[in-house]
This record gives sequence, C-alpha cells and structure tokens, in this order.
Amino acid sequence: MDHPLDDRPFADRSPAERSLGSPRPNRTHETPRLALLLLVAVVLFVAVAGISRAYQALQASLGNRWFMRGLADLSAQQFDSSVKEFRAALLYSRDNYTYQANLARALIGDKRTAEAYAYLINLWERQPEDGLVNLELARIAAQKSDSQQALRYYHNAIYASWPGDEERAQRHAVRVELIEYLLRINAKAQAESELIALDANLGDDPSEQAQAGDLFTRTQDYERALAAYRACLKTDRHNLQALAGAGMASFELGRYPVAQRYLQAAAAANAGDTKSADLLKTTEMVLQMDPFQRGISIADRSRIVVRNFAIAGDRLKSCTPISTLKTGPAQPPATFGSLQNSWAKLKPRITEWRLQRDSDLVESAMELVFNIERQTSVTCASPQGPDLALLMIAKLHEGA
Amino acid sequence: MTTNSKTDVLPEREVGPASLFERARAGILQPLFREDRLFLVLAVFIGVFSGLAVVCFRFAIGWCRIYLLGSGAVLNPWRLVLAPTLTGLVVATLVMLVFPTTRGSGVNQTKAALYIYNGYIPLRTAVGKFITAALAIGSGHSLGPEDPSLQIGASLASGLGRYMQLSRDRMRLIAPVGAAAGLAAAFNAPISAVLFVIEEVIGRWTAGILGSVVLSAVSSVVVMRWFLGTESLFRIPVVQLQRPSELIAYSILGVAGGVASVAFAGGIAALRPRCKALPRWTQYFQPAIAGLLIGIIAVLGAPQVMGAGYEYIDQAMHGQFTWQMLGILAGVKIVATMLSFVSGTPGGMFAPTLFIGAMLGAAVGGAERVLLPQLAGSSGTYALVGMGVLFAGFLRAPMTSVFMVLEVSGNYSIILPVIVANTIAYVISRSLRPIPIFDLLTRQDGLELPSMEEQREEGVLHVEDAMRPVNVPVLGPKETVEQALREAETSSADGVLVRLHPAGWSSITRQELQAMVDEELGGASLSSLLGNRGIPYLHPDHSLENALRYVERWPVVPVVSRADFRQLEGVVTERDVLERYREVGEG
Repeated sequence: MDHPLDDRPFADRSPAERSLGSPRPNRTHETPRLALLLLVAVVLFVAVAGISRAYQALQASLGNRWFMRGLADLSAQQFDSSVKEFRAALLYSRDNYTYQANLARALIGDKRTAEAYAYLINLWERQPEDGLVNLELARIAAQKSDSQQALRYYHNAIYASWPGDEERAQRHAVRVELIEYLLRINAKAQAESELIALDANLGDDPSEQAQAGDLFTRTQDYERALAAYRACLKTDRHNLQALAGAGMASFELGRYPVAQRYLQAAAAANAGDTKSADLLKTTEMVLQMDPFQRGISIADRSRIVVRNFAIAGDRLKSCTPISTLKTGPAQPPATFGSLQNSWAKLKPRITEWRLQRDSDLVESAMELVFNIERQTSVTCASPQGPDLALLMIAKLHEGA
Repeated sequence: MTTNSKTDVLPEREVGPASLFERARAGILQPLFREDRLFLVLAVFIGVFSGLAVVCFRFAIGWCRIYLLGSGAVLNPWRLVLAPTLTGLVVATLVMLVFPTTRGSGVNQTKAALYIYNGYIPLRTAVGKFITAALAIGSGHSLGPEDPSLQIGASLASGLGRYMQLSRDRMRLIAPVGAAAGLAAAFNAPISAVLFVIEEVIGRWTAGILGSVVLSAVSSVVVMRWFLGTESLFRIPVVQLQRPSELIAYSILGVAGGVASVAFAGGIAALRPRCKALPRWTQYFQPAIAGLLIGIIAVLGAPQVMGAGYEYIDQAMHGQFTWQMLGILAGVKIVATMLSFVSGTPGGMFAPTLFIGAMLGAAVGGAERVLLPQLAGSSGTYALVGMGVLFAGFLRAPMTSVFMVLEVSGNYSIILPVIVANTIAYVISRSLRPIPIFDLLTRQDGLELPSMEEQREEGVLHVEDAMRPVNVPVLGPKETVEQALREAETSSADGVLVRLHPAGWSSITRQELQAMVDEELGGASLSSLLGNRGIPYLHPDHSLENALRYVERWPVVPVVSRADFRQLEGVVTERDVLERYREVGEG
C-alpha cells in the first residue's frame, strides 16, 4: 500500500498503488469515462428497480399471508395468535393502516389495552377521521372510566368516515353504543339528547326502530318509545320486540286499552314472553278495576268499588312494614293507624246499594283505597296483582 | 477545525513577491481546479452508486432474514439457534479465505484508507462486506447495516476514483465521500451522515471536501428514497419537553447512558484482544459460537436482540414494552453485540448502539414515571433521547448524536433534553474510558490512525504565541535609502521594515540597502524602490501553521492589528515559530 512515507521503488508497487502514486494521466478521457459511468448508473438503476419490485412483491405477499391468518384467528377469537400474526404482517408493511388497526383490535381482545392504545393513538394521529380507530379509543377510554375522552372519541366516531356502504349503519351502531355507555354511567340527560339525535336519523329498518324504542324506554321517555315501536310495527306488524315494547310503553303512559291490545298480541305471538304476560294481567286488572272508566254502569261501578275497598283493606291488614338493619324491626307508621281507622269507619257504608245512590261516597271510598295503596307501596312489600292494579289506577287519576 | 484560506493572510492588492509566487502556483494548480469540478460530479455518481448498493444491501438482509430465520414474528426455536450458528461458520470461512478485509464494522478501514492507503480500498471489500454482512445480520447476529454500508460506499468511491484516474490528493479524500454516501443511505439521514464522516473520519471541516461529501450524501439518500420511500427507520411518536423540570429526569438518563456506554466499550475492549489472540483456526468458529450464544439468548426469551432490531426500537418508542423488559433488552443486547463484534463477524455497531440507547432510554423513562411521576415525559421521547445518549457515550460522536436525534425525529423541541443527556453521557464516558472505541479498535489492530477526539481538543497555536515585540527599525515610505541604512546600522537587526503607502508592508536587508547606496540610489525614497515588493503580514489570531508558510521565505513577517493594518503589533521569524513548537513539544 502507498504510505505517504513509503520509500519502496515505484516498480515494486502494485498496479493500484502505481496508479495512485502516479501523476494524473491524459485528461481527455474524462468525458467518455463520465458518459460510461452515466450509462452504467442507468443500467444499474433499472436492474435495482427490478430487484426492488421482486423484493416488494415478496414482502407484500408475506404480509398479506400473515394478515389473512391473523384475520381468521381474530374472527375465531384466538387473540393471542392473531396478535402474533398481525405483528408478522407488519414486519413486511410497517405502516399498513389496516394491519395496524386489526392488530389493535386483536390486542384489545387479548386484553392488552395499553399496547392497543399505543397503536390506536398512532393510527389516530395519521387518520383522526377514522371511525373504527375512534370507536376503539372510545371503548378504551370508557374502560378506563375516562368519560370525557370516551365521549370525545365516540362523537368523533359518529361523525367519522366509515368504509364502504356501512357508513349510516356504523354511525347508528356507534351512537347506540354511546347511549348505552351514557346510561351505564347514569348520564341520563346526555343519553336523552343522543337518543333524540338517533331518532331523527332512524331509517326504515324495523330492528333499529325497535332498538330506539327500547332505549327510549330505558330513559323513561315512553312517548317517544311508543312512537318508535309504532314506526317499527308499521313495517313489521309482528315484531315481537316492538309489540312487547309498545305494550309496556302504553302501560307506563297509562293507556291501558292500547297496552292491552299490544300486550295481547305480544303474549299470543310469544308464549315465552312472561314479562308481557304479567303486564297484560295487570293491564286487564286495571281495566276491570277502574270504577271511573267511561261507559261503565252505576251498578258495575258500585260493585267494583266494593271489591276495591275490600282489597285495600286486606292490603292494609297484611302489610308488614319493611325492616332495615339500622332501625331494627320496623314499626307501622302513624299514618297506618289513621288509615285503618278511616277504613274501619267507612267500611259499614260501603255497600253496592249506598254507592249507587251516593256518588260522593264512591269518591271517598276510592280516595281511601288509593291512599292505602300509595302508602303501603312505600312502606310495605311491592304491590302485586290487584294491589298493583289499584296503584296504577291511582296514578292514572292523580290530579283528576 | 481550522480555516486556512490564503486570502485571510495575504490581501491580493498588497502582494509583491508573494503575488509572483501565488501566480506561479496558480499556473501549476490550474488542472486542480478542473479536477475540483470533476470531483463534484464524481461525488454525485458516488452517491448514486452507493445508494443503489445500500438499497440492494437492505434487500439482501431482508431476504436472508426471511429465508434463514423465517417470515413470522415468532420464530422457530431451532432456527433461532441454527441460523446464526451455521451462518457464522459460512461467514467466518468467507472472511478467512476470500474477504479478509471485511472483518469488523468498516469505519476504521475507511479511516485507514484516508490516512494510510491514499484512499485505496479494493472493490473486493465492497463485495465481501455486502455478502458477509448481509448473511450475518440476516441470520440474526446482533449487528447493524450502517457501518458496512459506510464501507461499501467508501470502497465504491475508491473504485470510481481509480477509474477516473484522480490525483493522489483527491484519491485520499474520496473514501470519506463514499462513506458519507453509504451511511446517509443506510440511515436515511444525510445531515447525520455528513456530520459523522466529518467528525469521525476526516476530523475537520475543510471546504475542499465538504461540498463533495454533502453532494454524495444527498444523492445517495435520493436514490434510497426512490426505492424504499421516505419513511424513517422507525415511526416517531409525538415528542416534546413539557416542563423544564423534566431535564432533571433526562440528566439521569445521561448518567445511565454514560455508564452503559462504558460497560459496552469496556466489554469489547477486554474481549476482542483475547479472541484475536486465540489460535488462527479458532477464528473459523468464533462467529459460529457467537451465533449459537445469541440464538440461545433468543430462545430464552429475547429474540429482539437478533439482527439490527429497528422494529423493536419502533415498539419501544410506542410504549409496547414494560420498563423492566426494556432494561433487560438493553443489557442483553450489549452482551449479544459484544459477542458478535468480538468474534470478528462483519457488521456494524450503529444499529445495536441505537437499539441499546432506545431500550435504555425507554426503561429509564418508565422507571422514572413510577418513581418520579412529576418529572417524567413520554417513553417515546426517552427512547429517542436514549439513542442519542449511547451515540454520544459509546461512539463518542457528540455533534452527530445531537443532529441524528433531531434529524430522525424531525422535532426541534427535543433539542434541550438531547443536549443535556448527551453531554452528560459523553463526559462520563470520556472520564471513565479516555480512549474512544474506534481509536481503541485501530490500536488493537496495530494501526496508528489520528484520534478525532484528540484532534478536536488539540490546542491550536496562534501567531500571538510566537511573535515578539518589534525589534527592527520601522520606517515610513518617504524615508530615503541612506536614512534606512543609518537606522539599520544603529540597530542589531539585519534589516528594516517599511510601511508602504497607502497600506502594506515591505522589508529590506542591510546588505540590500548598502548595495543601493553603492549604486548611488541613496537619495531615493524607499516607496519608489519597494512599492512593488510587498511582503505578507499576519494577524495575532492566525494559526502558527499559517505563519510557517511565510517565515521561511521572509526573514521577518510583520504582525499587524486587524483594526488598523498600519499598526504593528509585533514581528515573527522562522526561529520564533520553531522555538514555540519546540516548547510545546517538550511539554
């Protein structure tokens, strides 16, 4: 090698060293040499482009193969395997959005929330308008009880872009999930406003309408619930969920004849629907036991009052006040004595004959019945059967 | 770093004899200026060829990994053990029998080409490095592709320089140009590559080569991005310094990084000579044994240590490991890299350094978040800063370490933590291990290359260190030759200095004055005789090296103030300069 202090004779050096040590030869060859270099560079560029295509094709194929395996395992809920497979897919396409999003889903499934969150945040930074990413972030925030972030990401997801033709359905599903979340955390007012927005964007899908009815029922907005169930039943007359729901909403609204009709249909269509059957029984009792209903004869009304008065008396006698740990064995409140006195005092007068002739007595008798049922429903065990029906009738005529 | 432009020393309008000299030199050097342009054009070609080579090198490593280790994220345990072991045997055989110059990382070989072999690196080195390093890294040896890329680039550049029949001076400089191109393409970071080559290979900023280095680095990165895209080696998380108090936490990272750097360098320094001292036949097996041990580490639960590990740096930056696991990975990677490197397996130390730094940084960040939650930032930021910390502490390239993090992260707000942590790591590493790793490796190889760290810190002597008070008569331009002769005779000096009009200086010896008087020119003014015989002058802040160029031609060189060129601050002679150098040499 040609060391600066090399004192070997020139002839002793290697050809490469000689060329280094010698003065620059004729410079006229520079241009053709540069041209040749350019040509070689172009040829190499083309060759490397070919190699690059082959390499990238291999990478894409491997990435896709692992991705498909990951998807299969994800749908089979084998989250651990799918995490490994999505990670392998990402080795070949590090920034592939779909691979990353599915890895995040698999991580969530595998309960590796922190890792999933890291991936999702990264994806969110790249595409903050992505619905799926926002939804997953919302779910993680909800898990962490970070309601502020959860609401933010849920809203992002509702207004985000969703792939394909599923945009409306996805937005609907996200809003439903948000409402469920709000109901879980007892944010009823926010849930109601989301429900109104949901209702405004409802399509013709009967299942969506029935679902909206259920949600309105959970927020105790029975009027809107009934409207949603009715909308559903317009399209699907035999929708069991809507029939039962409409029956219940009508019941809660005190529209017992309507409730009876829906509940009869629901119970008839689904013998296993015990809830509707029970509600139907109560509804029918309400209809039978209401002495103030229109078109009823005086004789029937008097008979009903006599029976109701007896039921109320039995309820009062059988009522055992609910005890609590703090207070020990509960004592009947003082009002019980007064109610018992009133009932005992009025009892001799409650006959069909007198009631037919004294409409004020009907009023007085039913007022006492309602008072007894109200008081016992607070102090005693929950009312059942006729007592429940009487309580409903009392509510129906409150303020009348 | 020094600047030695002639115009600083010798203003053109004032040159007398010097201008003749410079004109003569300019005539001789005329072809060199043409070669300058050729060198720049060649730098672009070097960048293109290096970029293409590095792209292919990356593909080769990828292919080797897929076919030797498998394509999945979770690898077969048998493959984990057998692939690096058997490939180690093949690589060792190739290195021993076919490509003996491909051992190690390649940085020192490039420096050797610059300082010892006049830029000569055989093309066989590029071919050998390409094959052996691709096999080694692809099979899971704990090494990186950057240093081999640097050497491949340097080797290609050397070949191109020989093909273009460059002069010896240019040939000496061509290896760093190729090195910058190779490193820039491997790193996808042209600024860091240029800085590293300047900082670690060339050792100083020289205008003559900077343009070529930049051109080659940029063109290689363009080529690389053409094929591989613009993505950085790892996805950069959102990084920022939220509170100044976080700097305390980063200082702790600096300390940890400094200690880790010392341990890493110390391990290599201790093990490498021992491995080299073993009988020659063992060198056929050393890479295989290293591969076997790395495979066992992988099977035992740390497959992340295999190969360059950029995907795991990416995961560490995105908080996908616990801090305990990160700490373990940093420690195990140090061991794995030591094993691979001391066994003589071809491959680089850049990627392992970044890996260890990222893991260590994220581990320290994670631990601090538990212990000092009010001080700690995000793990991604710590991982990024950690990479710079190890770069500063282990590779001892402080400037590159800062710019690398900035360039890779594309985020200027991280600069404060990087500077603080890197400086601490660098200072600790220097205090505990005075010799940088690259210098140590060259010394172990029996070479004596200039230490860039020593060069950086070498004190530069200035003219003011050697000049002495004016002890020669100083005359004005209107004074006559006779007056000058009288002045000269009354002083002990051999001549006089003449202040020319309107500016500039000249000098004349007593003998010359006497000769002029003898020729009956005693009444002539000095300016009429010396007007075109200006001499160079120096300023007190000029380097003494500059002064050497002039003191051997002119017996006395005036040292003048920068504020007023007519104000003489002293004079300097050849004897003064040599005396000063002798004093410094004697310590």
